[in-house]
Amino acid sequence: MPTMINLTINGEKIAAPEGTSVLQAARQAGIFIPTLCDYEALEPEGTCRLCIVELSGSIRPCIRVSCIQEVKEGLVVETETERIIKNRRLILELLLGRSPYCRELLDLAGKCGVMTSRFLTGEDDDCIRCGRCVRVCRDKIGAYALCWVNRGYNRKVATDFERLSEYCIGCGSCAQVCPTGAIKMEDRGNQRRIYTWGQVVARFELEKCEKCGRYFAPRKYIDWMRRKAFKPKGIELIDLICPECLRKTERPAPAKVPFGNGAFPAW
Amino acid sequence: MGSTTAKEIVISVCAGTGGVAAGGFNVIEAFKAELDKNGLSANYQPRVHKVGCRGFCAKDVLVDVQVDGKTETYQFVTPEKVAPIVSEHIVGGKPVKKWLVKKDYHIFHDKQQKLVLANCGQIDPESIEEYIAAGGYRAASKALGMGPDEIIEIIKASGLRGRGGGGFPTGIKWESCRRASGVVKYVLCNADEGDPGAFMDRSIIEGNPHAVIEGMIIGAHAIGSVEGFVYIRAEYPLAVERLRRALEQAREKHFLGKKIFGTEMDFDIKIVLGAGAFVCGESTALMTSIEDKAGEPRPKYVHTTDRGLWGKPSNLNNVETWANVPMIIEKGAKWYAGIGSERSKGTKIFSLVGKINNTGLVEVPMGIPLRDVIFKIGGGIPKKKQFKAVQTGGPSGGCIPASLLDMPLDYEHLSEAGSMMGSGGMIVMDEDTCMVDVSKYFLQFCVDEGCGQCTPCREGVFQMVRLLNEITEGKGTEKHIGLLEELAATIKDTSLCALGTSAPNPVISTLRYFRDEYEAHIFDKHCPAGVCKALTHFYIDADKCTGCTLCARNCPAGAITGEKKEPHVIDQDKCIVCRICYENCKFGAVQKG
Ligand SMILES: Cc1cc2nc3c(=O)[nH]c(=O)nc-3n(C[C@H](O)[C@H](O)[C@H](O)COP(=O)(O)O)c2cc1C
Ligand code: SF4
Repeated sequence: MPTMINLTINGEKIAAPEGTSVLQAARQAGIFIPTLCDYEALEPEGTCRLCIVELSGSIRPCIRVSCIQEVKEGLVVETETERIIKNRRLILELLLGRSPYCRELLDLAGKCGVMTSRFLTGEDDDCIRCGRCVRVCRDKIGAYALCWVNRGYNRKVATDFERLSEYCIGCGSCAQVCPTGAIKMEDRGNQRRIYTWGQVVARFELEKCEKCGRYFAPRKYIDWMRRKAFKPKGIELIDLICPECLRKTERPAPAKVPFGNGAFPAW
Repeated sequence: MGSTTAKEIVISVCAGTGGVAAGGFNVIEAFKAELDKNGLSANYQPRVHKVGCRGFCAKDVLVDVQVDGKTETYQFVTPEKVAPIVSEHIVGGKPVKKWLVKKDYHIFHDKQQKLVLANCGQIDPESIEEYIAAGGYRAASKALGMGPDEIIEIIKASGLRGRGGGGFPTGIKWESCRRASGVVKYVLCNADEGDPGAFMDRSIIEGNPHAVIEGMIIGAHAIGSVEGFVYIRAEYPLAVERLRRALEQAREKHFLGKKIFGTEMDFDIKIVLGAGAFVCGESTALMTSIEDKAGEPRPKYVHTTDRGLWGKPSNLNNVETWANVPMIIEKGAKWYAGIGSERSKGTKIFSLVGKINNTGLVEVPMGIPLRDVIFKIGGGIPKKKQFKAVQTGGPSGGCIPASLLDMPLDYEHLSEAGSMMGSGGMIVMDEDTCMVDVSKYFLQFCVDEGCGQCTPCREGVFQMVRLLNEITEGKGTEKHIGLLEELAATIKDTSLCALGTSAPNPVISTLRYFRDEYEAHIFDKHCPAGVCKALTHFYIDADKCTGCTLCARNCPAGAITGEKKEPHVIDQDKCIVCRICYENCKFGAVQKG
């Protein structure tokens, strides 16, 4: 049993296991805190700043992001003070300034009481710079195909030198974690394309499943996973079998790969 | 030749970046050659050496000529001037008066108190022997004989606070790092110095690198560390070179390496070159950068003294902070605490730039009135213009108006005034400075230099610049000031690192002291300082104009017409508001409106 930590969130007494974040503790208690850059399988980076909360009690009163702040005995957390709401709304307005038509962002803004932005820039960019794609590609897949380029306002996600990526293995994790669909993956026939800003960042030919004949994954990805996957004794990843067919075989599915929630993305 | 009676000749040539740029090395060579030619080298073993910056870079190359203990200082020395100086002064005994420094040089130094910079300008920074002869490494040797807690107590009692930004008490930082659990600990030196116009740290390393090394040795002993890093920007080649050489010399003398000073302690220092991003000076970004990752700040919910570089307890101090340490150990906490004001102890180095007569580096005791720095040491404002404000604390500091000139210069008073000490940048502005325009400049710096990972800083500061732009272009409305204040509050509250939380400071402080200027731009569509082109026009006062034709001849747009000896007129349609006529009219006839 992990040690339980007692804290108060919005006046409610809560016990959470040591090491969990305030955000996780709040969610477990059914308290909604908006987030954008947070993703369960990824280490929190605390950059979108939406999950800010006011802290007091056992620490000096301050505003911090709840995704990184760990629970602490005697911590008093307020998630909806006037100051927090004001700041959160302004941050959403700022994000909407560059992504005014982004559906997911509009939904979240609506939930937080923001209808329009006073900071329209004339841009129409679905990327909200949450960095999930960069983190999943770097920290979970280990392919380092996506990175941040430029500083400050011009920061954006790109492949090396903004060319077709050499390092991309075509797994599609980035598209899977992207909250707004700014990065998309498209399989058509035996072709897979991963693209962002209307520009193709990677292109692959798909392999056929030996059993059902469906195109399912690029060679590079299959090889990569075969090298990286954890292979329980007695189980061999059989060449070129799609996950569905694999599941139907007698063998247990390849249990764990080093990807966060255990799922092979986008086979 | 040989009519000289001199026995001892020492020639000290300024060879900091300023001195070298002005030709310092050529001057050294010229002196050597000239002394040889005059047969002085053989008879008197004169010493010609390079010394660190003494702060008055505007007068480089500065040369001290010391003959039998009597020193005269020459300014703007070039190789051509060397021969006359040698023959008239050293041989003939008569200093070349016209090339000597003038009164301003002495006024510049009068009110200063040089402790950290004491050796700069006196010793050869590339010679460990000269540093030792000046008392160097005595403090380290003494400290190694003391207990770590004893050292920490001394540093705490001295009242030394960080010189790199926040002014955090150094002794307390050392203590938390010493107490942090873990065997491996690091001591780090922040020599990133990214503030535009600042060169305090560069000058210390160029002029007295061993003081920083000695400070770090003492700190390492107090904290319990065997490895140190100096993070220095690659744009400082001379400083890097001198530091590298100093480290080698210290290793040769067994002041660094295994069993230093003959004790059981091991300690060595590595140099890490930074790529020159301003944000890399932030403590967590600096550490990720040393780890060879992108230099981006991380949230500091766990102190770096507990979990810093490679997850180990790490103690980061600024160059100037480290350079203060040896003298505190040497002369005692009480002596140090006797200098400065109530809660700000010791001296602080400022780089004085902008609209000021004597630009340069100045070291003053904390608590000195701001007025003394600007009007005595700095020699006041050029061209008899009015002082308007001084910006302290780097790009994210605040502007201090004339009404606060008598304020003591220390951590408390600066932050009370809405500014900060920062690393000691000081930009002086005169009546011709538009405060809206200036704020825009500083915020733009933060837009360009922020890393861009967190939303409020990346998007918010950009939006503030947009609003400021609209104001200076005459498109401001009554909503603009409110929006600026709203953005400033959120950016301060929610940014990830201190670059963001302090970026709105220039706007906040100018709105506090110069709100009328914002209002003039917005409501009267008028820029009182005559800087914002869309809100300024120039005209000629017919009563004052003598018809000298100077302005008409210099106008790049051909907008000024008029007969000789008759009042001239500016054609507003052609005028590009370049200010040339305004700056150059000898009769004050060009007016701004
Ligand atoms: C954006 C930013 C830039 C900074 N740049 C520097 C710098 O160039 N040099 C420096 O010593 N400290 C800099 N700091 C302050 C450091 O984070 C840190 O507080 C300091 O080095 C600690 O040393 P001290 O306690 O001796 O002042 C910077 C801080 C921020 C937020
Ligand atoms: S405040 Fe600015 S510089 Fe600091 S982490 Fe955020 S974006 Fe980067």
